[in-house]
Amino acid sequence: MDLISQGVVSGVLVGGLYALMSLGLSLSWGALKIINLAHFSFILLSAYFVYQLTLSYQIDPLVTMVLVVPLFFGIGALMQVFFHMVKVDEFKSLIITFGIFIILQSLIRTIWSADFRRIGSELNPYATESIHIGAVAFPVSQLVAFAAAVLIAVGMSLLLSRTYFGKAVRAVAQDREMARAFGVDPRRVAVILSGLTTCFSALAGLFVAVGQTIFPGLAVSWFGIVFSVVILGGLGNTVGTLTAGVIVGVASNTAAVTWGPLSAPLVTFLILIAALLFRPEGLLTRRSVA
Amino acid sequence: MRTHRRRRYLVVTMVIALIAAACGGDDTTDTTNTTAPADTETTMPSDTETTEPDDTEEPTGEPIRIGGTLALTGFLAATGAIHQAVGEVFVERLNEQGGLLGRPVEWVLLDDESAPDQSAAAYERLITEDEVDLVIGPYGTGNITSAMAVAERYGYVFPHHTASLTYAYNYACHFSSWSTGLHPNITNPNLIYDALESTGTPPATIGFVVNEFPGTMFIAYGQDGTDEGGAVSLAEDRGWEVVLDLTFPTATSDWAPVAAQIRDADPDFLYIAGLGVNASNIITAMQAIDYSPAGMFSQWPAPGPLLQTEGADGIMSVTIFEEHPPFTDNPDAVEVSGLINDALAEADIPYTKVETQAAASWTAWEYLTQAAEGAGSLDQAAMCDWLLENGADTLFQGHIEFRPDEQNYFEDLSKLKQIQDRDWWVVYPEEFAAPDRSLIYSPDE
Amino acid sequence: MTGSRLRTLIGFGAVALTLGFFPALQEALDLPRFLVIFLFTTMFWVSQASSWNILTGFAGYFSFGQGAWYGIGVYTVSVLVGKHGWPFVAALPFAGLAAGAAGLLLGVVVFRLRRLSGEIFALTTLAVAFVLAAVARLSPAIDGGTGIFMTGTPIPEFLGDFSTAMYRLTLVFALLTVLAAYLIHDSRLGWGLFAIRDDEQVADGLGVPVFRYKMAALGANAFFAGLMGGVWSLQLGFVTVDDVFNIRVPLFVILMSVLGGMSHWMGPVLGAVIITTLSDRLNSAGLADVSQIIIGALLVVLALAVREGVYLRMRDRWVTTAAIFFGVLALVTVLDINSSLISDFAYAIVATTVAMLVPSGVWERVRAARGGNGRGGPPDILAEDLTEANT
Repeated sequence: MDLISQGVVSGVLVGGLYALMSLGLSLSWGALKIINLAHFSFILLSAYFVYQLTLSYQIDPLVTMVLVVPLFFGIGALMQVFFHMVKVDEFKSLIITFGIFIILQSLIRTIWSADFRRIGSELNPYATESIHIGAVAFPVSQLVAFAAAVLIAVGMSLLLSRTYFGKAVRAVAQDREMARAFGVDPRRVAVILSGLTTCFSALAGLFVAVGQTIFPGLAVSWFGIVFSVVILGGLGNTVGTLTAGVIVGVASNTAAVTWGPLSAPLVTFLILIAALLFRPEGLLTRRSVA
Repeated sequence: MRTHRRRRYLVVTMVIALIAAACGGDDTTDTTNTTAPADTETTMPSDTETTEPDDTEEPTGEPIRIGGTLALTGFLAATGAIHQAVGEVFVERLNEQGGLLGRPVEWVLLDDESAPDQSAAAYERLITEDEVDLVIGPYGTGNITSAMAVAERYGYVFPHHTASLTYAYNYACHFSSWSTGLHPNITNPNLIYDALESTGTPPATIGFVVNEFPGTMFIAYGQDGTDEGGAVSLAEDRGWEVVLDLTFPTATSDWAPVAAQIRDADPDFLYIAGLGVNASNIITAMQAIDYSPAGMFSQWPAPGPLLQTEGADGIMSVTIFEEHPPFTDNPDAVEVSGLINDALAEADIPYTKVETQAAASWTAWEYLTQAAEGAGSLDQAAMCDWLLENGADTLFQGHIEFRPDEQNYFEDLSKLKQIQDRDWWVVYPEEFAAPDRSLIYSPDE
Repeated sequence: MTGSRLRTLIGFGAVALTLGFFPALQEALDLPRFLVIFLFTTMFWVSQASSWNILTGFAGYFSFGQGAWYGIGVYTVSVLVGKHGWPFVAALPFAGLAAGAAGLLLGVVVFRLRRLSGEIFALTTLAVAFVLAAVARLSPAIDGGTGIFMTGTPIPEFLGDFSTAMYRLTLVFALLTVLAAYLIHDSRLGWGLFAIRDDEQVADGLGVPVFRYKMAALGANAFFAGLMGGVWSLQLGFVTVDDVFNIRVPLFVILMSVLGGMSHWMGPVLGAVIITTLSDRLNSAGLADVSQIIIGALLVVLALAVREGVYLRMRDRWVTTAAIFFGVLALVTVLDINSSLISDFAYAIVATTVAMLVPSGVWERVRAARGGNGRGGPPDILAEDLTEANT
């Protein structure tokens, strides 16, 4: 029983990280109609930046966020400006962002080599500390990631439903021209949203760098999980994404502790297929954006 | 309609042009300087870098071209980089010392992108288009297997390093520089288990966590379709209880469930049949749930990251060479190690010490050059026969014989090393242990 | 049979004969053996890209799942031959059949039981590939993680030695695939598929048997992909899940088809030739790292700049194309810049492709300024239609 509870707990926590990784893709797909595969490389790039800054300046990895988050806001904003210049539909965006993903991944490999990188434990105490409740351990880095995911998901949800900006985003997602007629500048809204969502990816990168060893090939391994979460959660639905992340995390972890780790990927992808076939609009049909 | 006619004319003219170009533009003879201009980045021509006065004669004549691929990109690239650096040091040093058969040596290195079909195609290109004189193997079991088939087809001597599926290699002229013997699935675990028993306090329970990679599956479970046994059954034969037997996908990124199951099983000894950073990640995940097994072993870890992992102190692994006595009693080994250290540092590889990968890499080059020198020519058959008859005298692994009845394998020369005081030390067998170092293990932690 | 169809089939025959005799030609002229290997690699990709394009280019259903069909093909042959000792040639048809069956099964689910939108379909195909990989890993009957040895598989005498055998097999299957693509393109089925691509509901309303046609496209895609995958198991030598179910095949077929043009059956063929040549030369120059970046950049540039693909442009500007191609080829051959025939072609191909990147707008102005240059006649209406439709 301890094993199962530990499996469930770590599933919930890792689900938070999955949600963080998926928010960027989900929001840009739902609100901006751009299937932005480059987010995977943004997460990876952020992880490398965190690694490099921590190492070069001998600082706490969390502190690097001060630099990294604004940087990625800029990157996300620039990317959206680029998309405005070239006018793409969803398929084209898929191909183009795939190309960008490949370029970034290759650049990362060229700069940092294909070798494994790890923030040493002197600078990174988060990876191995944990809080205990009974026999169940809550690893600190995962806990923080989960907390961040919850805050962001709920925060974004409120932002989208309560603030003027949020309404503008939803308006643009539904009907661009109408929104413009009502005084909303779709371009500005899109640029800011894109910057914001890239920040989330940057944050996800931080937790990746803190929690595991990184190498260039890591990004490709996230595809399956992130797509599962994005589809299950509903495009643009932030709380849905969080829930979906937790579901995927719990399902795969429980499967892993019950039937062995080999069954976990199968479970994840079966969830993805089931979601695609039966609920492509997302589990929580409450519409948040589009 | 117009377009179809046009197209046909185009096709016909293209075919004619093709034949014309083939007759005119083909140049199979002069290939040395003109193919692959970027090759010069990876080769060390004898007339450039070294400025100190030569005490040996300059190699002269047509360069001997040695072709090979390595995983310079793709998921195997981390270790491919080590082999690249070591190979470059070898070739440079060889040229400084008079070359091979008096001629300078050039390494034609291509990237196989960690893909076996690319590796096979590249070796075919090296042999049939670039017409290299000799070949040396790539990195990675899959790539080595595919490339070996090509070498066999053309009858090239094929030295290679770190191919884990020993039983599959039947080519008469393949020479493995990773001295694990033909049955590492038996000899490796026995080495570890003997060592554990030598402490007087062997484990009563043992847990296995196995990477679903062919090589590690082989070590853990033996060869598919035989009852030869592997680490798991050999542990059972010793009367130890196997309390955990997990296989994980190679691309695992979430280690929490694995750590949870290990903690739940609580083995006296944890055998991680893994590669790369599997052990580092597993240990970190275990630390995060406050668990630390009494003893651990990792099959083929990337040595550097493991040293930096908190909680990895005491973990064991296998090696064929380490940079401390008695291995460093040989001053040549020390000198070469120094050169390799520098080369690895320059290539921005974090862990710069010579251990299994670098040592095996160097050894493979030694096979090739000793075969050529010994046979007095570059004739593949002569070189192959010479090696089979004489074996090789290697810097890092001593004298190696190639036993045809064991598919050219020799003995298992693996030693057991352990992380103590944040560094790797060989601890068993005793005659190879570092001074004042011995195996530390006790089931009660 | 119409005149143009006859002419194209004769063209096919000519190409088949030329390529078929190439190994003999290679030996007679003492050309490097590597040309044979290079060509059969190219044919592998021609087949993969063409089969992919039948579904994605013609029917407009973007598929990320080429790896799935390819993988089924590889593993069917590997399991039958490597694990159960079947003769290699006997196992090959099953590779295609197994993949085709899987494709049809998926089709039934996604086309009939569920009506999926474009992107969802794309992701489903991706998910199928992931699931297959996971199943292959889990099941010892298929792979179970230990890999399958295909080295040392006996090849029947009549096929020749290893590379000749690979050459002949890939040639036959590539020809079959491209022939199928051509026949589909120029048939009622093709017309129907293009209609589906443009607007499925309208097509349905017009009486196009939408479900049947989509199934045919998906089935053809999967069948040919699997067939060639079966052949390729021999080249892989040691078959493992990681080496088969990775991003290479799905990525490259997209790239090749986008480059060559997705609305014409020649597009993927051309794209495959260009990419394989470039990639081979970059690799042999030791620039594999750079080649990855170039591929990524190509993908971006192509998707943006060359909407209808290079083939249609080349056909439109065929005089210039031929002039540049043969001109550069002749130039590098005469100057003897390098010793490899492939490199000579690579230069010619790059020059021609770059010329194709000149935007249509600029091109038209140049052509108009030059006045009549012998081509004359109204622009090819079909090409224009396809150009606009394919965005």
